[in-house]
Amino acid sequence: MSSFLGKMLNVDLTTGKIETTIIPREWARQYTGQKGLGARILMDSFDPLIDPLSPENKIVLTASVMAGTIVSSSAKLAISTKSPQTGTITDGSIGGHFGAELKYAGFDAICISGKADNLSCLYLDPEKAEILPVSDLKGVGTFETEIRIKKLVGDSQAKVLANGPAGENRVPFSCISTERYRQLGRGGIGAVMGSKNLKAIAVRGWLEVEVPDMEECLRVVKEIHETDGVIDPENEIYTDGTPILVDFCQESGLLPTANFQEGTFDSFENVNTAAMKEIRQAKKACYSCAIACGNYLKGKQHEVEGPEYETIALCGPNLRNDSKDRIVEINALCDDLGLDTISTGSVLAYMMEMTEKGLYDFGIRFGDTEKAVNIVRHIAFKEGLGAEAAMGVRALSEKYGGQEMAMHVKGMELPGYDPRGSWGMGISYATAPRGGCHMTAYAIEAEAWGDLDPFTYEGKAKLVCDLQNAQFAKFSMGVCDFWPISSETLARLYSVTFGGDWTGTEVDFIGERIFNLQRVFNVMAGFDHTDDRLPGRLHNENLKAGPPKDVPMPYESMTVSLDEYYQIRGWDSQGRPTPEKLKDLQIEDVFIDQYRAYIELS
Amino acid sequence: MPLRVKKATCTGCKLCQLACSGWHNGAFNPEKARLKVSHKYDKSGIQISISYCNQCGKCVDTCQVEAISLNGSWVLVDHSKCIGCKTCLETCPLDAVHYDGKDKSVICNLCEGSPRCVEWCPKGIIYLKEKKSLTGRAANE
Repeated sequence: MSSFLGKMLNVDLTTGKIETTIIPREWARQYTGQKGLGARILMDSFDPLIDPLSPENKIVLTASVMAGTIVSSSAKLAISTKSPQTGTITDGSIGGHFGAELKYAGFDAICISGKADNLSCLYLDPEKAEILPVSDLKGVGTFETEIRIKKLVGDSQAKVLANGPAGENRVPFSCISTERYRQLGRGGIGAVMGSKNLKAIAVRGWLEVEVPDMEECLRVVKEIHETDGVIDPENEIYTDGTPILVDFCQESGLLPTANFQEGTFDSFENVNTAAMKEIRQAKKACYSCAIACGNYLKGKQHEVEGPEYETIALCGPNLRNDSKDRIVEINALCDDLGLDTISTGSVLAYMMEMTEKGLYDFGIRFGDTEKAVNIVRHIAFKEGLGAEAAMGVRALSEKYGGQEMAMHVKGMELPGYDPRGSWGMGISYATAPRGGCHMTAYAIEAEAWGDLDPFTYEGKAKLVCDLQNAQFAKFSMGVCDFWPISSETLARLYSVTFGGDWTGTEVDFIGERIFNLQRVFNVMAGFDHTDDRLPGRLHNENLKAGPPKDVPMPYESMTVSLDEYYQIRGWDSQGRPTPEKLKDLQIEDVFIDQYRAYIELS
Repeated sequence: MPLRVKKATCTGCKLCQLACSGWHNGAFNPEKARLKVSHKYDKSGIQISISYCNQCGKCVDTCQVEAISLNGSWVLVDHSKCIGCKTCLETCPLDAVHYDGKDKSVICNLCEGSPRCVEWCPKGIIYLKEKKSLTGRAANE
């Protein structure tokens, strides 16, 4: 008995064919579940050069092996696809209850390809799977979509992934929502769903999830919950949630302000955790999560689960917006329309700076939050200025200039940590498979908030490699980022749920394998070391306050550090994994052979 | 010692249902848990409702075949007597009676005094209310 079920639902929206296939148990050993299994399934018979918005692209939903069990914070669902925002492989994870519900429906994964003729919803439960027409939901926001889908399938306890109008209109940074309060924000998965005419995915389950030895499982998990901080009432992720990072980032001088022109914000106390707590209504948890990071807030006119730190940073200080009500409003709008708040904040900030510097007049300046809200409303429908903003900062800067101030890596807008205040974060952003992402290696904890010197690259290549490997394993096992769990503890949890006798070293090895597999995808999609670059501003302009004040972060030093990074990873000087390295990582021969043929030709 | 729940502060994690089903059924399945946590999302936000047995004894009174009894602290169901008529399910005011695959009534027995839901609730939202002492004050209040 195992919490891995070995079953996947395959759906071809073009033909309407739905079938169940077996997932080899070996894949769960090699890649575990969630992120890792998603990459493995996506790359099975897949051409990385395809157009992300074509019917040939796939959307792969993967639950974690531990989802549905009693392990805290383990039920996040991953969705993997080729990103229309970056052209890389991308995956995002979404909290709430969908991941566990998928397991109770009897599946570890769903793989969706093709394109439906009309706007559709995929529904599955243990007895049936069907594609339902939902043309009446065209242009409807995610909140209402979810309510109407539950009515359509006749079950208020069904779990729904809802796409908004932004995804329908293929905005490259469109996100999807579940249960009104959780989003899969990054990489444009909403646009891929939109390109497939897929408005929602709903699941309901009532089957069991088994483990090898229930008594042992309960004993080990209980002990870990009690000793690893997840039930600690003083845990700041519970008492405050991510808004606590506003104070940390301000103090470290890396809080993005006015489109990363500055790293401190004079009015930060208007938008920090203390300010947000004043309007907090309740705490909420995702499935099986003992921590409960979720904050439910009510602004003057809008309510939202959040805002999380990234939303506060990018839609607050980065726009010179010191109104928490406006942040709540933008957050609620983005969630309902299906827009990633990080990218939305970043593109607005770019337009504001371009206007202020006289490079192009978008008619909006820093602090013009009413105008910002108006643009947000139009991004999802690609109307007026919203149509410009919907391009994202990379495409917009290619059209209007100001590429120095287009804050993205590989087309994905940067999150809320200025790497000039924590240089390891720069390597992390540059090498993250999906572009400007903070989730693959949170080096800031060891640097700006830890013992390491934040203003040097020395030792950072190794630090970032180790963190990335550990994070990729942790996410693949489905554990939320907000549980700072060790690989050894993960190994114990995997042993009592999947089965076997795992070690921390094996867990890290799995993480390294998955990281390399994603890099293989990107190399075959045409990426190399020249894409591992930060926006020019970060190297050419110094911050003017806080600890990073007047400390230059030279481009040349970073390229030296990246060379070291490739060497540690066992990649060649162009940042490409060598076939020998892939062999060492025990990646299957079928991938290695294809990859070898590709790099020999290129 | 009946169960009590501070509903307003429940975060909706469902660890109580997982502990209940894991302990009693040998597998994780919230549908089979003896207490139920439901989420409802509407324009006013997220509403969480919890249904659980408070040992009121109504099922004991209405059972036609005397399969249900109260042992002083918790409810006992004698499956050799239960005929699956579902009278208990229909009369339970708290929606706390469940039916298992064998069509027999399943009611919370407080894990015979050590409820796993209480043990696993990470926020202390589910608790056992102490019996009133001789002075009329609850021991834990």
